[in-house]
Amino acid sequence: MNTSQSVSSGITWKVAGLLAPGFLLLTATPALAHRLEQHFTVDPRPVITIHNPNGKVIVRAWAKPEVMVVANHASAKVEVNAELSGNRVDIMTRQLEDTISPDDLRADYEINVPEDAELQIHNDSGEVNVANVLGDMNVETVAAGVDLEDAAGYLTVKTVGGSFQCLRCAGRLEVSSISGALRLLSLRSYHVRAQTATGNILFDGEFLPNGLYRLKNYSGAIEVRFSPGDSFDLTATSLKGHVNNQAKLTPPTHPPHYLSKFSNTILGTLNAGRAKVELSSFDGTINVLKRD
Amino acid sequence: MPTSGCTDFENHLEKWMEGERSPQGQAHVRECARCRGLLDDLSLIAAAARDSAPAVMEPPPALWNSLRAQLEQEGLIHERAGVAPGWFPRMFGVLPRPALAGAYLAALIAVAFALSGPVNQRINKARWLRGSESAMLPVTAHIKSVEQRTNVPAPSAVPDLNPVATASLHENLAIVDKYIALCEKSVQEEPENEFARDYLVDAYQQKAELLAQLSERGGNGR
Repeated sequence: MNTSQSVSSGITWKVAGLLAPGFLLLTATPALAHRLEQHFTVDPRPVITIHNPNGKVIVRAWAKPEVMVVANHASAKVEVNAELSGNRVDIMTRQLEDTISPDDLRADYEINVPEDAELQIHNDSGEVNVANVLGDMNVETVAAGVDLEDAAGYLTVKTVGGSFQCLRCAGRLEVSSISGALRLLSLRSYHVRAQTATGNILFDGEFLPNGLYRLKNYSGAIEVRFSPGDSFDLTATSLKGHVNNQAKLTPPTHPPHYLSKFSNTILGTLNAGRAKVELSSFDGTINVLKRD
Repeated sequence: MPTSGCTDFENHLEKWMEGERSPQGQAHVRECARCRGLLDDLSLIAAAARDSAPAVMEPPPALWNSLRAQLEQEGLIHERAGVAPGWFPRMFGVLPRPALAGAYLAALIAVAFALSGPVNQRINKARWLRGSESAMLPVTAHIKSVEQRTNVPAPSAVPDLNPVATASLHENLAIVDKYIALCEKSVQEEPENEFARDYLVDAYQQKAELLAQLSERGGNGR
């Protein structure tokens, strides 16, 4: 008896053990209470617009001529719409009631797009993460950070307080922020324009021939890393801060007339001076450092 | 959502702003909050533009005539063959409201600095300072008046759907205000310093954009 009871009791516990994760999953389902999955077949170079007030937007490129939208939101007070119009897919989080809490407004997206897609993303808070998309891209956020990886095309990114990181990006990049930090890593862009008021700026990438690299902030540090074989003309100016330079620059034979007597400026040419690098800060420190 | 009534109204917006107000248009404005908002923005812009008029010295007509003649001679402009579409739909028809406010303020700043161009060539410090002040005063005054009139909500003034984003906007507005104060101080101390003036212009543009975003957020409670 005892044996059978103990066996029966053991089985009961085993069953309970197996059911528990399922029960936990069931209780966790409110977080995924509303899920939308839609697929749209598109032509080459589709345009994808995403408008989301709050949440995570993840975009990945794939080889299919198709856009897949997976959206999750916890509240029934918002709805997620995705529509195909011509060769454009519009994705939007819509508020259904006038009174709604900030948490209700949140929606998270995972979107797969063809790699030549053009993206227009507006996400106020949360985060934006895009990888392997080679089409043009426009991203605007308020507090959301933006991470791009292996992107190309004409990239314009604007944040208010969100940070920005671009890893292995190519093409043309224009990024501006007010307090966000900007990190441009392993870049292969021929045109970079990065501006923030109080954030730091880090540039660790290639200086392509005829490339133009303009980094500007108000305060905070600007750090640029170079290799001895790089070729660029450098102008680095800080009105109230310091400029530290490790590049062996050839000074210009005729310093330009516009050089301000009020600022700390370093200028000169490294090797043949094929690219143009302009760094400016009002109150911050500029460091031009040799790559290890 | 815009309706066909909104489209009709927008098609007659230029005439409306010139004072020609049809009964249908008036009825539409009474019913449509979106078009009322658009009119509020436009009235604000028109008022600011009127206010700025005395600060901008009007070039004498002879200068315009000689400029036009020169441009025509160089083939850069031509006599108008017919009646061109109104300036208003061409310039602003496609712009959303925040873009309109931001674009206006940015244009105001650009105009103010373009007018200050000759100032840059002067070397006398006092004249530089006067030049800087005269160039910047209309801009600062307008930024302030637009700031008051756009009724930017305080952090706790309206029910906020996205407090993270709104807090970020206010926080960054404070950063830009501080940055403007420091740039203005620099320009005051070193009026010839074009570098400081460039930073001041940047700061004003950033402030204009933030105000436009805050204004829009207060308007629809987003």
